[in-house]
Amino acid sequence: MKNIKQYLLLFSLILLSAGLRAQEKAEPWTASQLMPTSELAALINDPAAKKPLIINIGPQAVIKGSVDVGPGQEKDNIKKLEKMLSKEDKNREVVLYCGCCPFDKCPNIRPAFSLIKEKGFTKAKLLDVPKNIKTNWIDPGYPVN
Amino acid sequence: MRRLIVVFALFISANVIAQESQIKIGRKAPEIALPSLTGDNISLSAQKGKVVLVDFWASWCAPCVEEQPELRKLYNQFNKSGNNTKNFEIFGVSLDSKKPAWEKTVRKYKINWIQVSDLKFWTSPVAKTYEIEALPFNVLLDKKGTIVGVNLHGKELEDAIEAELAK
Repeated sequence: MKNIKQYLLLFSLILLSAGLRAQEKAEPWTASQLMPTSELAALINDPAAKKPLIINIGPQAVIKGSVDVGPGQEKDNIKKLEKMLSKEDKNREVVLYCGCCPFDKCPNIRPAFSLIKEKGFTKAKLLDVPKNIKTNWIDPGYPVN
Repeated sequence: MRRLIVVFALFISANVIAQESQIKIGRKAPEIALPSLTGDNISLSAQKGKVVLVDFWASWCAPCVEEQPELRKLYNQFNKSGNNTKNFEIFGVSLDSKKPAWEKTVRKYKINWIQVSDLKFWTSPVAKTYEIEALPFNVLLDKKGTIVGVNLHGKELEDAIEAELAK
């Protein structure tokens, strides 16, 4: 009986730690939904390319042609984003970006990306900004507003 | 041929010197003169005679905002305005682009030290001069305005301020 209790305890601990690890890794986006900055810059620079809807959910709309919603951590801005998305075709490519900090410290991208997913946008992308918008967009000389 | 080599070596060394960082220990801190929230122009050089922490931050930078209570603690500890011995100052330079966001955060975190900004985000000339690649970033200056610390945080920063004030 004592052995069974010990096995049960061990099993529970394994389940708990697996659950915690899964929670740590869960992000609203998948790796394939991350768009490299070079890819977006090429789309903007190509006059023949079909342009995605580029939405800033960070401190400033730096990227050329992007629309400013403001930091995604603020509820009012999420409402603004929701209103903007309600007028769009769900099959249009939409690219969200912030760039205030690396992803693990960014307070804006998760609420905004969760909303876009919830609204059923089939081609939702998050701009892959590993460090910040200065290093990954302004410094390489990509197009700015 | 030898003369050509000497000229080439001089050219290379001149380029190396030109590219050398201005923001390092022992260098004079470049001047910053920017408007405060009330629109008054405040300069870094006017703080000469005090140990100064130049704190580069922004209201949109979560790690910078998290650091503000810690800075307030240091400010209260070392800026002894009650004894008229204001030997320590924090010179906060915000890389914000929107004044309301900057103002709101200053009020929320009761930031009562110097605050300036040109509201130019990453295109601020100050960010370029101070070679800032990411926030938060800071430099600690001695009483003569010479850089004595770069990007110090926590206990390391506290000890460095204390050591400079003791000089």
